[in-house]
Amino acid sequence: MAEQDIIRMTNEVFTESFEIPGDKLKSDANIFNDLGLDSLDIVDLVVALQKKFKVTIRDDERVRTIRTLGDIYNFIQLIKTEGNK
Amino acid sequence: MRILKLVYLNITFYLFFVIFSLVAVPGLGTFVILCALILPRRQVLRRLRRAIVWYGTVIIRILPFPLVRVEYKNYARSEGRGPFIFVSNHRSSSDPFLMVCPCLSYEGIQVVNIWPFRLPILGIVAKIAGYLSVREIPFEDFLAKTTKLLKEGVSIVVFPEGTRSRDNAVGQFHGAIFRVALETRKPIVPICITGNENIPPIGSAFLHPGIIKIHRLKALPWEEYGELEPFKLKNYVRQIIIDEVAAMERPV
Repeated sequence: MAEQDIIRMTNEVFTESFEIPGDKLKSDANIFNDLGLDSLDIVDLVVALQKKFKVTIRDDERVRTIRTLGDIYNFIQLIKTEGNK
Repeated sequence: MRILKLVYLNITFYLFFVIFSLVAVPGLGTFVILCALILPRRQVLRRLRRAIVWYGTVIIRILPFPLVRVEYKNYARSEGRGPFIFVSNHRSSSDPFLMVCPCLSYEGIQVVNIWPFRLPILGIVAKIAGYLSVREIPFEDFLAKTTKLLKEGVSIVVFPEGTRSRDNAVGQFHGAIFRVALETRKPIVPICITGNENIPPIGSAFLHPGIIKIHRLKALPWEEYGELEPFKLKNYVRQIIIDEVAAMERPV
């Protein structure tokens, strides 16, 4: 999957599920401090990402290390690459 | 003169704080134990929670007066007996005491961080009164406990920033209590506090003279917020508080 597609689709999740304006969605934006998500919102985010990308990430321990939007792009890229192997 | 005021305020406040607490806390304890001998648990808790509010009223409104004054405005005079979910911004460790102003007429508990439970005596009293340490319980338990309390008519006071603001800006909100509100359909009351950032400042126990302003805004009924998702709801309430705090701090 192309990097640009991952960025676009991830940003769509944030605008559709959380109504966060597009101008706030920068790669280095901290999803907690800058975008205002909390630990409970992460559960909703994971569900939305799974639906959008048709992947299973719910039990993936690596989710816990995510801090920025860029981390999510990289994580999705990784999951997609692993899925294609 | 300024230093004299500071010294006078802190000596008198802490002196009377200790004297008052030495009298009030054992008195309160005895009262609760006597109540527990003859009354059901529910009524004992109600009396304990009311007693805590009166204790807090003396601590924050009487002991530091007149060098620290509290100006309280209630924009919601006739909204019934509750229970409500009170949501406040958080600047100082005096905030939990200041909640006695909007909550004077209600039986309530506070959702606190871990450290207030570690305070000698006061922490134990808070635990007995049913205060909740949100970081120590999973969300499902938090939801169950708060739902039960609200059903019993007990209001809940929350500082959803979780920690005191270091720059007076209203921080990001944690959404747990807003999920409780959506589940229980209870009204949310925004509370805005300004002027207490130095009463006392973070990392200090020194009180500085000043005027603390507290505004209790109109309650948001479930009919007004029930359609919102939790994330949207917490930011909706946060924005209401941000706007009011800005208005309160605008020079006249």
